[in-house]
Amino acid sequence: MIRMIQISRWTQALIFLIGFLILGIALHFFLNSYIHAILISFMINAIMALSLNFITGLADQFSLGHAGLMAVGAYTSALLSKELLSDHWFFIPLTVLAAGLVTSFVGYLVSLPSFKLKGDYLAIVTLGMAEIVRVLILNWNSVGGPRGYNAIIKFPNFLLSYSFSVFVLVVTFVVLFRLKKSWYGRNLWALNEDDIAAEVMGLDLVQSKRNAFIISSFFAGIGGGVYAHHLGYISPGSFSFLISVQILIMAVLGGLGSMSGSVIAAFILTILPEVLRSLPTGSVDVRMIVYPIILILMMILRPQGLLGRMELLEFLRSKNWIRS
Amino acid sequence: MNLIEVKNLSIQFGGLTAVDNVSFAIKPNEIFGLIGPNGAGKTTVFNMLSGFYQADHGEIIFNGNTITDLKPHTINRLGIARTFQNIRLFKGLSVVENVIVALQQREKHTWLDSLLETKKFYQTEKILFEHSIALLKIFELDRYKNHLANALPYGAQRKLEIVRALATQPKLLMLDEPAAGMNHSEKAELNDLVRFIKNKFQLTILIIEHDMKVIMNICDRIVVLHRGQKIAEGVPLDIKASPPVIEAYLGKRIT
Ligand SMILES: Nc1ncnc2c1ncn2[C@@H]1O[C@H](COP(=O)(O)OP(=O)(O)OP(=O)(O)O)[C@@H](O)[C@H]1O
Ligand SMILES: [Mg+2]
Repeated sequence: MIRMIQISRWTQALIFLIGFLILGIALHFFLNSYIHAILISFMINAIMALSLNFITGLADQFSLGHAGLMAVGAYTSALLSKELLSDHWFFIPLTVLAAGLVTSFVGYLVSLPSFKLKGDYLAIVTLGMAEIVRVLILNWNSVGGPRGYNAIIKFPNFLLSYSFSVFVLVVTFVVLFRLKKSWYGRNLWALNEDDIAAEVMGLDLVQSKRNAFIISSFFAGIGGGVYAHHLGYISPGSFSFLISVQILIMAVLGGLGSMSGSVIAAFILTILPEVLRSLPTGSVDVRMIVYPIILILMMILRPQGLLGRMELLEFLRSKNWIRS
Repeated sequence: MNLIEVKNLSIQFGGLTAVDNVSFAIKPNEIFGLIGPNGAGKTTVFNMLSGFYQADHGEIIFNGNTITDLKPHTINRLGIARTFQNIRLFKGLSVVENVIVALQQREKHTWLDSLLETKKFYQTEKILFEHSIALLKIFELDRYKNHLANALPYGAQRKLEIVRALATQPKLLMLDEPAAGMNHSEKAELNDLVRFIKNKFQLTILIIEHDMKVIMNICDRIVVLHRGQKIAEGVPLDIKASPPVIEAYLGKRIT
């Protein structure tokens, strides 16, 4: 068993930051750009999985259109930096933030019809929203239509783009984690357990779910923004239904309600296809076989996901692998 | 002045009139019984009073406000709390968290405090926790504070539901068969507890119960429903002797 040392939160944060910076510099010099790209993909996936986990894991409302929200964020940020700001990488954080705000407004619009009735209406409405967004982009020529939107401004080097992604991921994680541990997270748990009882406690179901979806949309938009400036090229195909499903799989694999679980699952599911890709299998694409097998095994062996609804430290403690 | 007034309340499900033109009024600090055979419409009345069902006809006036068409959470905020016939706890939350959820709806929180883990965040959490423990103590449930709610014995779950309802600081507390599934000593204890909390928290209580001992023992007045209709209203002794009530429960005497 490992004993945890008690140190203050700010010290923890500082150690964490310095660690990440050193790691970033090391990665910058010692790894190739292929690995760099995978690392940043992982962080984008983690942001998306966290965002979805907040609405689906905590508030128990399925969203099947997170890729649609991601698209809104990606196109907003790309458009803003190209058309409004002087297309300089310096403005990327600003346009990404704006992308989050615009997407949370879309989330608000989606939430209007979704929570009037109890039941999984959000799943249907988000599905429709994602499709509408896709068709709109397809027919919008000034953002490239079906050909995609090209030459979006990127960070000039890996270290910058790495630092920015780490920063966004950490902020997303901390905010959603703290919300989970706050009175608001407790409200969401309660309505997840029994919405009728929650209403009798004076909890406004519609308002709580709506807020949860707006918050979730905000981070989905941010994730989309980071994605756009990471690849430099986006198209309607980058945000298909399959992407929504992939994000959902990450949230479920990590454990619905577990923020650290989402990050771990995003890591596994980003790395795994790459590892499988490198296997010497000739013309057969083993990914298509191994990936589903892993998911099926997971459903049989651990239907609640890797961590269930616990966070990593809580999980390790519950297994007595570390002492608190 | 009445605390709550129910006027000509009716509701239909398909062709069935579950509650048919029922009226009654409850004064502050009364313990008011709602009884009747199975399927009489008692729980349906609770569901209309708490906002889960919309009445087809009639009016509900609580503390001067018409609440007939309000939503459950608004009605609770105005001062009506209830328990459920089939217990509805937050099963996966601990006992103390169940109570905190109820309490925190009345506390002022800010997002920022929880986000930054300020001193105020910890203070509020501490106050909520201590307040919950104090309420749990009344029902001797504090020793279970960290258990999951669904791990509690049945009687304790019923009591926890009452504590949770109390935590919303109601004026009117509605209990739907609180003694169901309890043994003799638990029922006796429940009688005392209901009286105790009524005085301590200045409550008015509306209670549905099948156990006649409990009902006759604690109620000031009683309304009897049968097939959705009110068939009697009065003090326990009169109700016991009322021919239509005896007939509803035992059937017509064969002559
Ligand atoms: N949502 C509903 N849909 C259809 N019928 C309903 C609904 N709710 C209640 N009923 C019907 O209304 C009638 C009254 O039911 P209610 O639950 O109010 O009875 P009750 O007096 O509480 O009986 P019990 O003592 O068994 O709890 C029953 O016939 C029941 O089937
Ligand atoms: Mg009933």
